[in-house]
Amino acid sequence: MEITMKKSISYTLMAAVALMAASALFSSCEKVSPTGVLIGNTSVDDRVKQSLVNFSVAEVAWDKYLADTIQEYSFLVGSDSHITLDPGRLEEMLEIGMEHDDLFFCHLGDLADTKAEYYNNTEIAIEDATDEWMDKYLEPLLKEDGEIYQDTTLFYDPRTDCIYRKDEHNIFPTALPFYPVVGNHDITHNGWALFSRLFKTSFYEFTVRVICDNDTAYDRFIFLDSANGTLGSYQIDEIENGFFQRDNKKIRNTFTFTHTNIFRPSLNEFASTYCREELYYILDKLADWNTTIAFWGHVHAWDERDFGGVHHITMPSMNFVDHPNGGDDLLVRITVKKDGSYKMERVGLHSKQRTKEELVEQGYTVP
Amino acid sequence: MHIIKRLTLSILLLTATAVTSMAQYYSGSHTFDGENKNEVSMSLTTGKNIITGPCIGNTVHYRHYFDEHWSVDGGANLQYSKGLYGFKAKGQYHLKIKSFHMFASGEYMFNHYHSYNTNENVGNLSVRFERGYWDITLGGSFIGYNMMGDHYTEPVTLTFGAHATLRPRTNKWNVGLLFRNYDDFYYENWNINWGLDFYYRFNPTWKLFGEFNVRPAGSMSQLASKYETTGKVGVIYRWK
Repeated sequence: MEITMKKSISYTLMAAVALMAASALFSSCEKVSPTGVLIGNTSVDDRVKQSLVNFSVAEVAWDKYLADTIQEYSFLVGSDSHITLDPGRLEEMLEIGMEHDDLFFCHLGDLADTKAEYYNNTEIAIEDATDEWMDKYLEPLLKEDGEIYQDTTLFYDPRTDCIYRKDEHNIFPTALPFYPVVGNHDITHNGWALFSRLFKTSFYEFTVRVICDNDTAYDRFIFLDSANGTLGSYQIDEIENGFFQRDNKKIRNTFTFTHTNIFRPSLNEFASTYCREELYYILDKLADWNTTIAFWGHVHAWDERDFGGVHHITMPSMNFVDHPNGGDDLLVRITVKKDGSYKMERVGLHSKQRTKEELVEQGYTVP
Repeated sequence: MHIIKRLTLSILLLTATAVTSMAQYYSGSHTFDGENKNEVSMSLTTGKNIITGPCIGNTVHYRHYFDEHWSVDGGANLQYSKGLYGFKAKGQYHLKIKSFHMFASGEYMFNHYHSYNTNENVGNLSVRFERGYWDITLGGSFIGYNMMGDHYTEPVTLTFGAHATLRPRTNKWNVGLLFRNYDDFYYENWNINWGLDFYYRFNPTWKLFGEFNVRPAGSMSQLASKYETTGKVGVIYRWK
C-alpha cells in the first residue's frame, strides 16, 4: 500500500512536470495562451458589460450615423486579418471599399494579433483611411444661412444626410464607418485593452433607414461578441431582455456579424465552435430575428449555406500568412437593393507583405 | 495551423510521458467480472448552464455482458430544466492485450432539445485503452441535427478523452482527473471538458460514483470560458 501511494505521488509529480514543460512550450509562441485551453484569462461577460456602458452613452449620436434614407447601398465584409506589423490587407480592403463607394465596412474579428505594435500599426491604417474617407465624402457643415459652423469638428455627409462630429465618436475613435467584432486572437493575453482602445464595444448594433412599402423601415446590423466561443450569460440575458427589440423599429433586413463560426467547412477545422445547446440557441435566435445573412469568421475557410431560412456565410481569412499572394475571393460585398433584396459578390485582395524597412519608411511601428 | 501543430505535438509528448510513467496495474473495471452479467446505473446531475440556467436531470444506463468480450449498453437521459431528452445504444468489444484492456465501441445517440425543437442524431466509433491508473479514448463522432425544417451533418469530429486515477482501479475507492470532449449524452467539437471523478465500491454488486465536470466553451480558441458546470452522483448495481 505504501509503495502504491509513493508511486502515485511520483506519477502525479511527473505529470505536473510534463504539464509545466508543455506550458513552457506553448508560452514560447506569442499567439498562444496555454492555460486558456482550460481556463481563459478574459471574460466575455466583462467585455459586454463594458461595451454596453459605452454603447448606451453613445447610442443617440451613434444611431444617426447611418439612419437616413438610402435607396441602395453596399457594404464590404472581411475577416481574420491577423495584422502583425503590416496592416496592408486592411488598408487594401478600405481602399477598395472607398473606390466602390461602399457605405461601410464590417470585420469579423481577429483583426490583429495581440501585441501593442500590431495595434499601433492598425490604428495608423485606420487613421489614414479616415482622413481619406473624410476628404472624399464629408463637407464642412453649413448653417442655414450658408455659413460654416465655428465648430470645425462638425462635418456633413451629403450621401446619407448625416452629421459627423470628428472628435466625439464615442464608440469608435474615427468617423470611418468600420465596424468590427472581437475575435479570440484580438484578446489573447488580455488584448481587450488594446482592442478596446480603438473600438470601445464588442456588442452593438446600428440601423440603416430605408423606405419599404412607402413606409420608413430599417435594415438592422447586429454585432455579437463570441470571441470566447460563447456569447456568455450576460450577453444572452441582454438579448433575451430585448436589446435588439427595444426601439420597436420596423425591420426589413437583419444582418448579423460575429467571430466564432457555427458551420465547419471541413473535418480538419480544429477551431472551437459553440457547445451544443448554445449552437441550437443561436440558430434559433437568428431565425427569430428573420436574419437575412449571418456572417461568421474564425475558421479561415469559406462556407455558404441556407439553414432555417437564414443565409450563412463563413468567411475566409484575409491575412498574409494564409494568402501571401492574395486571392480573388477574400472579401464579400453585399449590395442591398431598393426593394430589399441583395446581391453578393466576392472581392479580391492582392497586396504583398511589405518588408520591415518599407514599413519604417512609411511611418509604421517596427520594434 | 502552427498552433494546432504545437498543440498536437504537446499532447503527444504529454501522452508519451504519461504512458511511460504508469504503473503495471490491472484495471478491468469496465469488464465482465465472470459472475454478474447485468449492470444498471442511475445518477442525478445538477449544475448550471449559461443558456438554460440551473439544470437538473437524471440518467439511467443498463449494460449486459454476453461474455468477457461482448457487451451492449442502453441509456436514457432526462434533463428537466434544459428540456433535453435523449437515449442511446452502444455495443462494445473488449480485448485484453498483455497488460492493456482495449475496448472498441459503436454507439448511436438521439437527443431532442425541446426549447429549440431540435433533433440530434449522433454516431460514434471509439477505441479506449485502459490500464490500472489511466485510460485514453480516441474515436470519431458523426453528428447531424434537424431544426426548422433543415438538416445539417457536421464533418467528422475527433473524439478524445484522457483519464488518470490516484489509485489502481482494483482499489475500493478512487479519485480521478478527466479531460475529454464528450460526456454520457453529448459529443462536442473542440471543447475540452475537465473535472474530477470518484467512486466507492461497497461490495462486488454496489458502487457509488460521482463526478464534478467543467464544460467550457472556446477551449481551442485558448479562451476557455464558463459554459456549464455540473456535479453528478449515482449508484451502480450488478447482478447475475
